[in-house]
Amino acid sequence: MHDLGYDAVHDELVVTSSLAQAILTFRGGANGEEAPLRIIQGPHTQILAGAGALAKVTVDPVHNEYLVPGAPDTVLVFPREGKGDVAPLRVLRGPDTQIRYPDLEGGDNPPVGVDPVHDLLIVGTRMPGRRGGGEAEEEGASSDSPFRRGVPGALLIFDRTASGNAKPRAVIGGPQTGIGRVNQIAVYPPKGWIVASTGNSLCVWSINDNGDVPPRWRIPVQKITGGGSGGVALDPVHKEIIAPDSANNSVITFYFPEIF
Amino acid sequence: MHAKRNNGGIAILAGTVAIAIAIFSSVKVKQPPLAAASELALRQPTGQPQLVSIARLPHGSVTPDGEMCEWAPASTTITLFAELEQEKIADSSARTRSEDAGKTIEVMRPPVRTIRDTDPIYSSIAVDAHFDEVILQDENLFGLKIFNRLDNTAPGARFTEPKRVIAGPKTKLQYNCGLYVDQNSGDIYSVMADTGDRILIFSHDAKGNVSPARELMTPHRGYAVAVDEEKQELYLTVQFPPKVMVYRKMASGDEKPLRVLEGERTGLADSHGIAIDPRTKLLFVNNYGNTSNYRVAGTGKFNPPSITVYPLEADGDSAPLRVIQGPKTELDWPGAMYVDPERGDLYVANDLGDSILVFHETDEGNVAPARMIKGPKTGLKNPTGVFVDNKNKELWVSNMGNAAATVYSLMANGDVAPLRTIRSAPPDKLSIKFGKTEAVAYDSKREQILVPN
Repeated sequence: MHDLGYDAVHDELVVTSSLAQAILTFRGGANGEEAPLRIIQGPHTQILAGAGALAKVTVDPVHNEYLVPGAPDTVLVFPREGKGDVAPLRVLRGPDTQIRYPDLEGGDNPPVGVDPVHDLLIVGTRMPGRRGGGEAEEEGASSDSPFRRGVPGALLIFDRTASGNAKPRAVIGGPQTGIGRVNQIAVYPPKGWIVASTGNSLCVWSINDNGDVPPRWRIPVQKITGGGSGGVALDPVHKEIIAPDSANNSVITFYFPEIF
Repeated sequence: MHAKRNNGGIAILAGTVAIAIAIFSSVKVKQPPLAAASELALRQPTGQPQLVSIARLPHGSVTPDGEMCEWAPASTTITLFAELEQEKIADSSARTRSEDAGKTIEVMRPPVRTIRDTDPIYSSIAVDAHFDEVILQDENLFGLKIFNRLDNTAPGARFTEPKRVIAGPKTKLQYNCGLYVDQNSGDIYSVMADTGDRILIFSHDAKGNVSPARELMTPHRGYAVAVDEEKQELYLTVQFPPKVMVYRKMASGDEKPLRVLEGERTGLADSHGIAIDPRTKLLFVNNYGNTSNYRVAGTGKFNPPSITVYPLEADGDSAPLRVIQGPKTELDWPGAMYVDPERGDLYVANDLGDSILVFHETDEGNVAPARMIKGPKTGLKNPTGVFVDNKNKELWVSNMGNAAATVYSLMANGDVAPLRTIRSAPPDKLSIKFGKTEAVAYDSKREQILVPN
C-alpha cells in the first residue's frame, strides 16, 4: 500500500486495493479482519492504474469526495459514499492538464492533495524522461525500470472542480523547486500551505506559488536522518509533521510550528 | 498652638522625604532585566502601561468561550510559558523571512520522535544441511543472519547471537523476501521485493558488508524463489502483474528468462509462495487472490486465496492442472511454500492464520489441509517462511511477528511446541511489522498514526 486517507469528519479510513482496482472505506476504528463499509469497484469506475497498480487515494471530507489518480494521466473523483460500480463524478484528463502518469506498463501513481477551503486540487506529477534532475532518485532498480523513471516533477494546481482537459491555474516546477519525485501531498488550508514529500525532503510551498520557485521551507530528511521521506501527514494540533522513512523502515515526527 | 504643631509636623515630613530622595539618588539601584529589555527595544518607562509586543498564544490556550487558560491537571508538564518558549525555538525571524517567495528556509531540527522496530523482522528462512546452518532473512534491519542449526535460545536469554551476518550498503540487502540456499555450493539466493528488482546471490562464506557475487535483474515485485537443481532452472514469482519467471539458475545481469507463465488462464492472482517437485514435475504457486487486467479499467476482482498447480514446464497463458481453493483450506495470506518430495507433502506458511498448513500434492478444490500446526504452544506469529530439512526430518519456520525461527518435527500437527527456537528478541516480543513504510496518515480523533505497509 502506498497511500491511506483518514477522514476526520466522518471518522473513516480510505485505502485502495491496489491490485483489484478498488477503493475501500473502513470504519475509523477498524481492527483485524474487519470488512469494509463500502467498496467502489467495477467497469463504470474507469479505475485503471497500469502495472504500477492503483496506489493513491485522497479524501475531501468537506465535499464528500474521493480523488484517485490513475492511468492514463488521469484523476478520477468519486462520491465518498459511492458503493459498487459507480461512475466518477469528474474525470480530469487530457494533454492540457499536464498530468503525466509514467505509462501503462509501470510507474507509481502521482499523489493528489486537496484544499477544500480555497477549492484547489493539487496533483504531483512525474514527467517521463531520463534519470537525473531535481533531487537524486533512490538507489535500487535498473535505470531502465519504469519504476525509477520519471524526473523531474511538478506540482499542478487546479480548481478543485476542474474536469476534462482543464489547464492548471498554476504549475510549481523547474530546477529551483528541486522537485524530483513527489510521493505524497498534504495541505494546510488555514494558511494555504502545500507540504510535499519529495523523496529526500519535506518541502512547503504556498497555494499562491507558481512557476520555478523554491520551497518556502525544506526539511532535508535525508541529511538529518540518513533516510528519506516517502509520504507526509500533518498534525496541526501539536504542530507536527509525520513522515514515513522507508530507507530506515520507520516513521518520524518533526515539530514544525512554522506552517501552523 | 495647634497651627505651630502642624507646621512642625509638615516640616518633619518634608525633611524625611528630602532625605529619602537623596538616598535613592545616591544609590545605584540594580535594574531588573525587564528594564534592560525595554532599553534595548528603545522604549522608555512612562509610568503608564505600554503595548510592547504581540505574540500569538499557543493553540488551545484560548477556549471557545474566550477563557485564556484551559484547566489542566496539576500533574501537567506543559505550561503556557513553556509552550511560548518552544515556539521561540522555531525562530520567529525565519517565519518572517518565509513570507517572501524565492527563499528557502532549511529546517535542520531532528525528529522529536521515531517509531522503529529495533529487532529483526524475519521474512524467510532456509537451511544449509551441508554446513548445518540456518539462514534468516531480515527485512527490517536489512541483512542475512546465519545461525547454527542446533541453536536454541534459552528462556532467560534476550536473544541468540548469529554466528555470521551479511549486511551493509554493499550487499544491497533491503526489503528482501524470497530465499534459497544451494545445498551443494552453499550459495544464498535472496529476492529483492519492490525496492531493487533483482535477485542477489552470495557465496556461502560471505560475511559483513560485501557485494553480492552475482545479480540477476528481475521484474518489479518479485517475491519467492525455487530452483530445479536437476535442470538448473530458477523459478521466481512476481506479485503483479502476476507471473512466474523461469531463468537459467546461473543467469545474471539482464539475461532474459527461459519461460514466463502469465495470463488470465493461469489463475495467478497476487502470486506469492512457490515450490517445485522435480520428482513429479510439478510447480506450485500460492495466490493472495486480488487481481485485475492492468490494461483494462474495471477488471479488478477479489478472489479467495488459492494454490494453483502446473506442469514444471508450463509456459505462457497456461491453465493450471488443478486449484486448491475455498474456506476449508484455511489459506490466509499464504507465504513461502516447500514440497517434501519423499512424502508428497506441500507445506505453506500461513501468515494471517498464524499456522503452517500441510496439503497433499494431489489435493484439489475446497479441501482442508491434511495437517495444520497452530496454537499458542507453537510459537508461530505471522509465519512467512518455511523450509523442509529432509536430512534431519525437521520443519523450519521464520516468523515475521516475533523475530524468531521455530523448528518442528517434520510430521508435527496441531498445537505442538517447537523442538527449538532461535530468538533475536525477548520471548514476549511482538513486532511492529513495518514492511517498507511509504505513506502515512494521521487520525486526529484518536491521535494515532496510521501506517500502510
